[in-house]
Amino acid sequence: MAQEAAGTVGARLSPHVDALIRAAQNGDQEAFEQLVRTYDQSVLRLAMNLLRSPEDARDVYQEAFLRVHRNLHAFRFDCSFHTWLYRIVTNICLDLLRKRKVRKEESTVVETPDGPIDRLDTYEESAAEADPERSMWNRELKQRIDGGLSGLTPRERMVFELRHYQGLRLRNIGEILGTTEEAAKNCLFRATQKMRGVLGDFV
Amino acid sequence: MNCDSVTKLIPLYYYGDLTPEEEDLFDEHLHECTVCAAEMERQRVLSAALDRRRMEPPPLLLEDCRADLMAAIAGGAPVVVKADKGAWTLFLEALNVSFAGFGKMRQPAGALALIAMGFFLARFSGMPTPFSGGGFNSMSLSPSESTFATVRSINPDGDRYKITVDETRSREITGRLDDPDIQRFILAGSRGENAAVRLESVGLLQNPGVSPQVLDALLNVAATDSNDGVRLEALKALKPLAGDPRVSKTLSQVLLSAANPAVKMQVIDLMMARRDDSTVGALQSLLQHEENSGVLHKASKVLKDWNASIGTF
Repeated sequence: MAQEAAGTVGARLSPHVDALIRAAQNGDQEAFEQLVRTYDQSVLRLAMNLLRSPEDARDVYQEAFLRVHRNLHAFRFDCSFHTWLYRIVTNICLDLLRKRKVRKEESTVVETPDGPIDRLDTYEESAAEADPERSMWNRELKQRIDGGLSGLTPRERMVFELRHYQGLRLRNIGEILGTTEEAAKNCLFRATQKMRGVLGDFV
Repeated sequence: MNCDSVTKLIPLYYYGDLTPEEEDLFDEHLHECTVCAAEMERQRVLSAALDRRRMEPPPLLLEDCRADLMAAIAGGAPVVVKADKGAWTLFLEALNVSFAGFGKMRQPAGALALIAMGFFLARFSGMPTPFSGGGFNSMSLSPSESTFATVRSINPDGDRYKITVDETRSREITGRLDDPDIQRFILAGSRGENAAVRLESVGLLQNPGVSPQVLDALLNVAATDSNDGVRLEALKALKPLAGDPRVSKTLSQVLLSAANPAVKMQVIDLMMARRDDSTVGALQSLLQHEENSGVLHKASKVLKDWNASIGTF
């Protein structure tokens, strides 16, 4: 996870990125495309892991970068572009998560005659599990974790994803979500407390 | 450090967010306390399980997203451009555009002045106008009104000129989205001339309880809007209604008539919600003449998932 962020942080500090932004602000379409390519993989990964749906991740990607395209002229370099972009992305994701909470359509797990199956399994990195006992244990653990994640508030979920999967520092997470480092810390604590709770006596 | 404070610090310790001093105290406590050590182990198991749950977007999805985005932008997703240029610069630019086709032909100074007046009236007539009174007494512009004028024609009339001006008065209406008047204006906005206004209006029509008028408006925009960005927004708004037979029918028409690959991709996404003969037929027809590989791949995949033939008929 920390390695994940390294690429992003590197891009954030690069004067090359600043030059791309300025060129894109002046209407250079090629520079805009390069800018998108610098960040879009981590944006898509965040949306995919957070929303667990390739369709929704795709919508988030499109909406986020269209907003960037429409509003790039207003970017004044008073924060890092990465933070500015992630504010847009996290706002869109939080809206979707909140709507889902209301509609209660979070789970991607479907019941089949052979037991519950996550229809997104094909997208996950397969940890080759030759041992059936181990595989069953993992399946049970995975179900508990999915249940735990869906019990988090959208904001807890977001902080958790940004810290665990994207490897962002808590101060940066606070900046992105328009809050303090302390508030982000508390949110992370509540999220992990809830998650460790769902493991119960399993480990 | 006691057990209570250590429990709170577990995630921060795990993610490396403690200061070196805090970390030392934490380690010390962990060596002495089996309960907290077990809790720390639970955190490690949780993190390892979360890592296994991690999803990596398939490269094809990333490529699709990039193609969709660039198509949407090229297709004219409305861009809000901040007008931070002064009035004089805008005027000079307008002159350049007006005269672009005239080459080196010199324009009479009078005509130039009239174009200048038309330009300023069109853009700045909400401001106190220097032309009120005098020769323009037929134009009763008051500084308090926001009136926008467009010069329709200029005809010589002896040593004077007769100018026909179209005026549009602007007024502000405020209200909540559930106000029928506001809804009426938003529906009108979805048919307006300005693509950015249409986009905004269509975005506001995305509500759970869709009335027949709203559905009509969304279908109309999705099928006929000249701006692909606005069409994409309408298609997005139709997403919750994707199973409706009327939506299905319009989607089939859009699929076969749209030129923009991003629009077609979005239509296919929505089509997946409902399998019927006309949808299958539309996808099969598309395969016969589509050139975009992303669209072809997606349409074939849907037909394959539905066990429908992808061959020609």
